[in-house]
Amino acid sequence: MYGIEQLLVELATRLASIEAVNAFFRDPRTTARVVGVLIAIPAGMLGSFLLLRGMALTSDAISHTVLLGIVVAFIIMTRFFRMEPDLSSPWLIIGAAGAGVVTVILTELVQASGLMKQDAALGLAFPFLFALAVIFVARYVENVHMDEDAVMVGEIGVAWANTNSHPIGDYESVVITADDPRAEIVRRCVNCVRDQINPRDPAAEFIEVCSNCGEYSPGEAYRAGFTTVRPVLVYWPKSVTVALVMALVASLFIAIFFKELKITTFDPELARSLGYRPTALNYALMVVVSLVAVGAFDAVGSILVIAFFIIPAATAYLLTNRLSRMVALSAALGSAGAFWGYDLARGRLFGVLPLPGDWDTSISASMVIMMMVLFVVVLLASPRSGLVAVWARRRRQRRTFVDMVLLGHLDHHINRVFSRESLEAHIGWQPEKLAAVLDRLERSGRIEIDAGRINISRRGHTSLAAFRASTT
Amino acid sequence: MAHQGEHNRMTDNNGGGGNAALLALEIEDLTVAYHSKPAIWDVDLTVPQGVLMALVGPNGAGKSTLIKAVLGLIPRAAGSVSVFGKPYERARDLVGYVPQRGSVDWDFPTTVLDVVTMGLYGGLGLLKRPGKRERELAMYALEQVSLQDFAGRQISQLSGGQQQRTFLARALVQDARLYLMDEPFAAVDAVTERAIVTILKELQHRQRTVVVVHHDLQTVTDYFDWTTLLNVEIVASGPTDTTFTEENLRKTYGGSIATVNAIAGGDS
Repeated sequence: MYGIEQLLVELATRLASIEAVNAFFRDPRTTARVVGVLIAIPAGMLGSFLLLRGMALTSDAISHTVLLGIVVAFIIMTRFFRMEPDLSSPWLIIGAAGAGVVTVILTELVQASGLMKQDAALGLAFPFLFALAVIFVARYVENVHMDEDAVMVGEIGVAWANTNSHPIGDYESVVITADDPRAEIVRRCVNCVRDQINPRDPAAEFIEVCSNCGEYSPGEAYRAGFTTVRPVLVYWPKSVTVALVMALVASLFIAIFFKELKITTFDPELARSLGYRPTALNYALMVVVSLVAVGAFDAVGSILVIAFFIIPAATAYLLTNRLSRMVALSAALGSAGAFWGYDLARGRLFGVLPLPGDWDTSISASMVIMMMVLFVVVLLASPRSGLVAVWARRRRQRRTFVDMVLLGHLDHHINRVFSRESLEAHIGWQPEKLAAVLDRLERSGRIEIDAGRINISRRGHTSLAAFRASTT
Repeated sequence: MAHQGEHNRMTDNNGGGGNAALLALEIEDLTVAYHSKPAIWDVDLTVPQGVLMALVGPNGAGKSTLIKAVLGLIPRAAGSVSVFGKPYERARDLVGYVPQRGSVDWDFPTTVLDVVTMGLYGGLGLLKRPGKRERELAMYALEQVSLQDFAGRQISQLSGGQQQRTFLARALVQDARLYLMDEPFAAVDAVTERAIVTILKELQHRQRTVVVVHHDLQTVTDYFDWTTLLNVEIVASGPTDTTFTEENLRKTYGGSIATVNAIAGGDS
């Protein structure tokens, strides 16, 4: 991860000045938006496939169980390999991906027993794995920032402050060894904890250890006072790197396997009969979903991750009938929600409309609300399937129908003379309704009213014939 | 398509329908079980090239299971399947499959043309997208089922019969030698049924072999020249004239003899 980040820093500093890059990310607004958008893009794209596969809730399950993967990998790293605890290590991400796959396998096992349906199977599998994770965190993980708040709503608001500093130019890192004059040697009791004795107890045994040995990056070396050379540094938010890598992995996966994902989602049986492997592809998809869920988990917390996967995808589903467009729209809608969501958290709707009162609220929750606002707008206003369009279409159809009922009646009894009163008696409508229909028909020239006598016109005949043709 | 040449040669060499020299489908000792309850039991079945075959049997007889087991969609507990003399796994591209209409989500965001194009995905390698050539072939298949005017429609806007014809077009575009169809006549109107029969006869005319899971006993003798009666085990298989008899039907359908009598009586 650090290597990739160095590449990104290199690229960024070529495109803009070091000061500009630092200023860009020092602004909490920009960093939060960049991270939000970088999560919304891959989540939105993958979410389209999850939604169409009927696996919307799987993203919720995975976003919880990745915690188990992270914790197990963390325990293995620190306990068995004696590695430094580091929450941005790629091993944790691999652990998370593994947990995602385990979730899916466990769910499918419960389902394959034939005793539970898919939703119940998910409901059994993921709380179990999540509960294990919570117990492991409490039992084995110390000295690491992993509190409930972070798990609930994420840390996107402070993403700007959690940076790696990258020196620009030729600065050497500083290595402090035990024989270095700058090394601090301290005495440590080796049997105090084990034997539960006081360090002043004569039985206590001590060894000398170096408390500050290790490798220091140029920035760290300057801050620790090991060197007087102050390096030029770029402060790069760690979550930007993580989110960017996840976005790239997911985009590549979808670009390469688009055809395969499409056919296995629409018709897995056909796919299999053509020699594709839907099961393998499904697991690959779950791995990529897990990877994105880890990035999202860190930024927005485990509970809201599902919103990034599903709300934009559901919105896009209402807007198009092409899969490729749905995937692209979903990414765009998610990005818009994340972008404007930050503004909403600071009290401005769509970045411009100021909301009353003093706003300083959860960024991740506001992003979700914003995505939901976009969904509701589309649900109401989508030109094809929006509720308003459907309502207007129904109303138009209803009107056409009553018009035709009246025209049909006039046509059927063409030799009879009709007045308002006789029509009212024949058709049995309320006077107001009849008046409205007659008014509409007269204005459009489909009937003629001559001294109270109502006749169907030539245009009326044409209109009626067209309607009859269209319904048979 | 790489196999086009091979197909034509096969057609030329085996002109007559029912040529036993090369079997379109040969199933030996095939057993499939769901949770150790056999759905089909030790099935031996040979289908000669060029026949239009009805696969008939009561509900739960294992008709769909048989087709899916041939295609490797569900695991086989025992037995082997070969297609034109080769194991199915090596002859995949000779087989076209028409699943039951209800097996997919018709609200999926895709068009009729797109669904038909999916029939050609088997011949595309990784990273290759369907292009102009594939769309033209798909369009031609849509013309064969008279759906060319619906190419750009979203699939949810189709009627049941049109959906069924879309699936047929998707199989036609594969230009397979053997077609396996799971209830293509389910819940379609009389006009669509006629249209589908015409397409099936046309396929047979072009020396294709077609196996159809069929429910309507009244139409078996009209539509199919070959019949297999299945009830977990094979009851009888052969030319419809000699196979679709009252006695065989009685063996297949067991209890519901009254119905069988009515049908068989009506036919003979």
